[in-house]
Amino acid sequence: MRVLVIEDDRETAEYICSSLKALGHVTKYAQAGRQGFLDALDSDFDVMVVDRMLPGLDGLSLVKSVRSANVTTPILFLSALGGLNDRVDGLDAGADDYLVKPFAFSELSARLSALARRPPIQIEETRLSVRDLEVDLIRHSVCRDGQEISLQPREFRLLTYLVRNADRVVTRTMLLEAVWDFHFDPNTNVVETHISRLRNKVDKPFATPLIHTIRGAGYSLHA
Amino acid sequence: MRRLGQAKPSGLRTSVRLSLQYSFLYAVLSAMVFAMAYWFTQYEVQDWVRDQMKSDFRAVLAIHAEDGPAAMIATVERLAAVNFENARIYQIVDANGAVVAGNITSAFSSPVPDRIDAQDTHLAQLLNSEIEEYWLREDQIGPYRLILGSGDHIVAEVLEALSFALAIGYLIVVTLGLIVGVRIGRMTEQRIAEISATLSNIADGQLDARIPRTGTVGDDLTRVSTAINAMLDQIKRLLESQQQISTDIAHDMRTPLQHLRQRLETLRDSPAIAPDDVSDSLTQTEEIIATFNALLRIAQIEAGDRRERFVRTDISQIIANVADAFEPAAEDEGVSLTVTALETALTVWGDRDLLTQMLANLVENAIKHCPRGSHIQINCEARRADIILRITDDGPGIEQADHQRIFQRFFRGEKSRSSAGNGLGLALVKAIVDMHNGTVMIIQSTTGAVFEIRLPNDADAERV
Repeated sequence: MRVLVIEDDRETAEYICSSLKALGHVTKYAQAGRQGFLDALDSDFDVMVVDRMLPGLDGLSLVKSVRSANVTTPILFLSALGGLNDRVDGLDAGADDYLVKPFAFSELSARLSALARRPPIQIEETRLSVRDLEVDLIRHSVCRDGQEISLQPREFRLLTYLVRNADRVVTRTMLLEAVWDFHFDPNTNVVETHISRLRNKVDKPFATPLIHTIRGAGYSLHA
Repeated sequence: MRRLGQAKPSGLRTSVRLSLQYSFLYAVLSAMVFAMAYWFTQYEVQDWVRDQMKSDFRAVLAIHAEDGPAAMIATVERLAAVNFENARIYQIVDANGAVVAGNITSAFSSPVPDRIDAQDTHLAQLLNSEIEEYWLREDQIGPYRLILGSGDHIVAEVLEALSFALAIGYLIVVTLGLIVGVRIGRMTEQRIAEISATLSNIADGQLDARIPRTGTVGDDLTRVSTAINAMLDQIKRLLESQQQISTDIAHDMRTPLQHLRQRLETLRDSPAIAPDDVSDSLTQTEEIIATFNALLRIAQIEAGDRRERFVRTDISQIIANVADAFEPAAEDEGVSLTVTALETALTVWGDRDLLTQMLANLVENAIKHCPRGSHIQINCEARRADIILRITDDGPGIEQADHQRIFQRFFRGEKSRSSAGNGLGLALVKAIVDMHNGTVMIIQSTTGAVFEIRLPNDADAERV
């Protein structure tokens, strides 16, 4: 995917760009807010990474301007401001996700992939399927290999999120935010225990496991 | 630093200057009132003297009209004879200019002056040392001229007595005014001195200094003092919080950073790097970041700037969500987690994310400290103005001595010293509860630990 990185700290920017390139992505880098704004209007990117504090034009104003110019490219805010209100401010400005520094690259990469493949217009899907797994979003039912699987409401939400992001890595933090709306990091293995229960129902009775643990990053449902 | 209390004011102190200004104004106003009183009295008395002479003239005129000139002359002669203290002048002059009656033998020439000096030769036979002037009037009755006069001594005496009384009164009024003014000024000045002394103590670093509560309840200086004291309390709290953060960082970040450094130094010097060593270092970095984030979050919550984002929040939804999230983890630890007696509408005015974290921390705390086979119960009910949230477990409980300290940052009870965690979970709970104007306490129990949180019911919540 094509990623625009607007970040004033050269070391961080180079780290992000080289790591993304190593994964086969194309990156463009802008150091100042104004240049970043022009780049954002100019070319067609799949996703943008924008730092909150930039020289010239600050990140918040940049995102607002980009959005008012009808650019719908998904934007991820990157910020050293870990303030309680900063995430809400960032999302209100028109960003799609928010990541606080210091961050792990695996977290950034997983979030960017999730953002980039997000369908531009939300088409109301009713059925999702991955291999022999079928999820009916209307009836809240799950089938694998023709067998009905009974899931708790929260397990259903967790599985749906994994299926929607099939073949991509989802991190613990992404799951905590998407499934439980937790915006903090619990010390207890909340995600692990739920994944383990889900596996018992979705994977264990069948020959091939669908849910895989990605070491040091999170989970992935393989198609 | 400039010391407020000792600062030498340029010119007189405000209170003294004000009381002098008011006293002066008071004296001038009193003088004006007294001068008006004097002027009115003088006018009235003079008027009265003139009226008296006019009335005498009418009486004489009436006698002349009814009984003729002879009766009139006899009347005037009698009036002249009973003249008290020679204060009056009576004279009748006929058409030829001869004096026919009265106490003055030489005729006044016509027209008579309005006033005549008591030393005038005409009045030689009148002896009254107290009179300086006579006031005269002249009327024509038939062929006769009637001249009436009256001494000014009544006016003079009345005004003299009045002046004396007014002067004494004025002195008393002004003196009293000055005394009261200076006294009030002194009292005010003393209290202002107290306030400025307190402020200068604060400026010198004595953050505990407070303005003594002396004045009357509700007066303006007391209100100012109370407001200043409240402000000082808040400043002290914020400063302490800031200092606490620095201390905490020094205290709890140095050790893990030292460990990380040692690890990295070992890695640098080792010929082959094992992937496990690297991931251990990363885990350690994450723990340091987590502690750092938790400290910052507590500081931000204590600063209270998130209150502006408070909304109506359903506590029962939060409880359901948190219980659902932690239930499998609890089960893995061999602990049961149940929610009981949840009424439908339990709303508070607050922050959903923070209340979720508060409950999550308490549940995590219970799971961490309870042995296998324990039961954890979350219970919530509305009681009048409060929403009461209880997290009850039948684990080892909390020692009485730790009930207060447990909410301090980095506090760890004897039993939990060996277990993982940064010691900030309950401090964060306390900060969140305080922010919501609630209370958190541990209820003494023989069968385990009970955390009770009271939050203002949204129906009565003050939306500040």
